Amino acid sequence: MHQNTHTVESMTSRQRVLAALRRDPVDRTPVCNPTSVATVELMDLVDAHFPEANRDPHKMARLAATSHTELGFDTVMPVFSIIQESSALGCKIQWEGKDNWPTVKMNEPIWLEPEDIAIPDNLCTHPDTKCVLDAIRILRKEFGDDVAIIGKTMGPWSMGYHCMGVERFLLMSLDDPDKTRRCLDKFKESTILFGQAQIDAGADALTLPDHATGDLVSGEYYERYLRDMHIEFTEELKIPLILHICGKTEDRMEYISQTGMAAFHYDSKNNPCNSMDICNHRISLVGNINNPQTLYSKGPEEVHAEVKENLEAGVQLVGPECAIPLQTSIENLKAIPAAVREWHKEQAARN
Amino acid sequence: MAELSDIANEFARGEIDEFIENEDERKEIIDLYAAASPDMQDIAATVLEGDNDKSDELTKQALDNGVTALTVMDDGLIAGMAIVGIKFRENFIFVPEVLACARAMKAGMAHIEPILSASGVEPIGRVLMGTVKGDLHDIGKNLCIMMLRGAGFVVIDLGVDTSPDDFLEAVDKENANLIGMSALLTTTMPNMGKTIELFIDEDKRDDVKFMVGGAPVTPEFADDMGADAYGDSAVECVEVAKSLLKKNASA
Repeated sequence: MHQNTHTVESMTSRQRVLAALRRDPVDRTPVCNPTSVATVELMDLVDAHFPEANRDPHKMARLAATSHTELGFDTVMPVFSIIQESSALGCKIQWEGKDNWPTVKMNEPIWLEPEDIAIPDNLCTHPDTKCVLDAIRILRKEFGDDVAIIGKTMGPWSMGYHCMGVERFLLMSLDDPDKTRRCLDKFKESTILFGQAQIDAGADALTLPDHATGDLVSGEYYERYLRDMHIEFTEELKIPLILHICGKTEDRMEYISQTGMAAFHYDSKNNPCNSMDICNHRISLVGNINNPQTLYSKGPEEVHAEVKENLEAGVQLVGPECAIPLQTSIENLKAIPAAVREWHKEQAARN
Repeated sequence: MAELSDIANEFARGEIDEFIENEDERKEIIDLYAAASPDMQDIAATVLEGDNDKSDELTKQALDNGVTALTVMDDGLIAGMAIVGIKFRENFIFVPEVLACARAMKAGMAHIEPILSASGVEPIGRVLMGTVKGDLHDIGKNLCIMMLRGAGFVVIDLGVDTSPDDFLEAVDKENANLIGMSALLTTTMPNMGKTIELFIDEDKRDDVKFMVGGAPVTPEFADDMGADAYGDSAVECVEVAKSLLKKNASA
């Protein structure tokens, strides 16, 4: 089932990632994290710490670059958290310190009704969104065409949680589907505007987190509320889009595969072989090395085993399942590209 | 042994028939519902349907008709949540539906709680629940609270970003015998251990049992940091809380 690679000439990281997103042949499977590989160790290494690295474009770019320069990943991703546009929209943010992620104060919703939702003109010039755009420009200048730069624009379902509160939004989705759709329609504007601004700044692909996870809502919900909207995003944002949904998602992968998204960043709660079967080459898969139990808690050997499981299943881009724990060791992260290279070497020797 | 046909409420009967697959559970639920009066079954059905207006109305009506608050709570509201918990565990329903059912239970409990509180009826347990310091995620913790309340526990919600000192301060004030801590981030789950350490330092560790959970938390991690129990879901949280109380009682 795994990818045929032995006839492909050597590629740059960027070529490799973009080819894998198109499900074209690659010289080896790219290593990628469409969410974040920031760690405290990496922050110390390049003197770019949280929370400043989420707000200062130079620190943001410096920390993002480490995923290629220090870890050997094929992508760089400067958006380490999921709060940038929520901050620009007016959500309260708890910025935390060096050893924790900034988080939206979702229990202090800024909007209650669809009529309240207003995407401001300064969405992409607010310091916390502009920071991302500037960081992408810096990274593009630094890496040229060698490394794939991935941006991130939050989907409307996630924005509903951030701006209206998780429980309130989920209850609304049951009580009043029409009202929910009107909210999603309004949040859509933020997804497109911030996504387009990152494309203009030089992003090669965009992660689109939209947390309609199986831990919260049914697969039928994804189809009812999000599938068509995600199709719309692929028509509006003309670079490869990588949908990210945490948790159990096998029950909605069929619908996700119908969206035209380039890839789906999937969680370790889903079996690689089953997931590949469901997606059936209509969408690439990215993932799904377990974060808390493997990358954070175990060693390179266990990381190696999970990488191999994904490669054997034919997963097109290998990497952590989600933003990695900040205390993850560099040694474990380096084990991912090392395992990918080793596996390809073994495959080549067999052929 | 009661039969499904002994249950008068058609909706409740249908729910049991369709969704309770485990034989022992099915028997237990049928016995519970068959022993309840048709009026109590109707209240349970409002919870199952997530109909908070009807739950409010029928609960008030039952109390006006002289049914005791404890009976309405046990045979009506809690019986309803028992099926909700099973449906949620088995992925027949998801969080929005659970939220609606819990809202219906809450509407009924608004009439029950003042009566129980005034009469000095002891709940099966008093639980402090909080998401730990540095963590603002609360949906998992809130689901646990709904399920615990649905099982008859009194739960004091300390909210999110709860420091070890907040837990310590609240335990005396609220006379709680259980503490539930939740974390969604690997960066914040060590704060569970720090909270337990504070209780040890303050010589309060033996006064209370700790249960922990959250996406990155594992049974091994729970054990390492000295928690008494780990639960991997909101439904399991109820079983864990009940078993910790049993341990407390036999200690």
